[in-house]
Amino acid sequence: MKLYAPHVGHLEGLEELLNGSKDIYGIYMAGTPDYVGTGRTNLSAPGLEDIAEQTEYAHEKGVKMEIVLNSSCMGGIHLTPEGYNRISWYFKQLNNIGIDSITVAEPYFVEMLAKEYDMEVVVSVLSFVDSPQKAEFYEELGADTIVIDPAVNRDFDKLEAIRDTVSTGLKLLVNEGCLYQCPFRYAHFNFFSHANGPGPKLSVLDDYYYYKCLSLRISDPQQLIKSPWIRPEDLKEYKHITDIFKIGGRTHFPNWILNNVQAYANESYDGNLMDLLDCPKDLKDLFYIPNKELDGAISQWKQCTKVCNKCGYCNRLAEKIIKVYSTEGCENVLKPLKENGGK
Amino acid sequence: MTITETLSKNRGELEVKLRNLLAKPVFLIEMDAFALPCGCKGATINTRGLQYDDLEIFEDHIVKYLKDTSENLEIEPSFLFARLVPGTAEIASLNSRVLCNRCYMDFARGSGKKPRPDIYILNFIRRE
Repeated sequence: MKLYAPHVGHLEGLEELLNGSKDIYGIYMAGTPDYVGTGRTNLSAPGLEDIAEQTEYAHEKGVKMEIVLNSSCMGGIHLTPEGYNRISWYFKQLNNIGIDSITVAEPYFVEMLAKEYDMEVVVSVLSFVDSPQKAEFYEELGADTIVIDPAVNRDFDKLEAIRDTVSTGLKLLVNEGCLYQCPFRYAHFNFFSHANGPGPKLSVLDDYYYYKCLSLRISDPQQLIKSPWIRPEDLKEYKHITDIFKIGGRTHFPNWILNNVQAYANESYDGNLMDLLDCPKDLKDLFYIPNKELDGAISQWKQCTKVCNKCGYCNRLAEKIIKVYSTEGCENVLKPLKENGGK
Repeated sequence: MTITETLSKNRGELEVKLRNLLAKPVFLIEMDAFALPCGCKGATINTRGLQYDDLEIFEDHIVKYLKDTSENLEIEPSFLFARLVPGTAEIASLNSRVLCNRCYMDFARGSGKKPRPDIYILNFIRRE
């Protein structure tokens, strides 16, 4: 099994991660947002010297280094002569440093990187590859590896069809806790891409999508179950699709990342599933989902038609196992969902 | 009781009251006491899962809870407001603020519940 772990982007953090676990196959981190941003929030923006130093360190440890430049919207700047020249220069520097792979979401970059550089080209989860047709399209553009859209993480017909259609590597993101069929998905990532990209920088009041995302789950906790995460125990169900798994969570501390690496490497976690999910981390102090009580749920999801109003399985499961943290005095206690207004 | 213990206790109590009122697990993600350079001081309670509809329907109850919380924190509940995400149903925070003279005048000149798109006034005691 090849586990890719997130990394915030400084050498101290990398040392902590790689000294903390032997189970990390590859590390991924953002680059500087001055050329191509990323579709998610970052805690740091390593410059080329930092990337070179960390790549060398990772290679000494026998670990692959991947740079993520997965802005889902460039605002067209990459198609201008100035934009092209700047981005092309940056790709060349990364290539010279010797990074192993580069993750991009913009189809233009997939083709550009495949034609002009030696780095492994990885199609980002933010390219939303959720069908064999899209996978084939990216393979023809030059992709070496495709990170499949988690929206189909529980759709085994689609996963198997993608596997059978392309010869690229396939990577599965295991712990994304985004809403299933999230209506904000494109808008939110586009917003992040601009907020975390080359600029002009936005002066934003609030992250509307994040507030809405949390509200939807607080008022309807079954959404937490429907999110297409893959439990550590269920990795075995996916090994006929791929042996490459990616843990999301670039904004977390090394101990959180190491806890995830250990859980997925051991294919077992005895605790709150919310501990493992990258997003929404705010809600881990609100909901408790006993991971071990989800044993067997994958059997239902493997045959799920995703017509929730006819099935109701996730809703029943949520009512049965989710607990809510509540306060008595200054103490945190766990209470059943129903007592706290679950639907 | 230290100020942090007081904040912690009141965050929990207000959260429980809101959950019992609204029958859903509203989450008070953070309660902060603040003092601004202008002279304003007070407390901000960042909320998740609380919606504008909840406020409209249960305004009287929520104002009472917020007043009690404010008094427990020894903050005079003279200006209570919710901060909205403009144009949406989301409430970002509940606030109790003792206004400095300059900020008081900014609000005192206005009228109505929403002097700004992101502010919904729950209680505003005008000075003599």
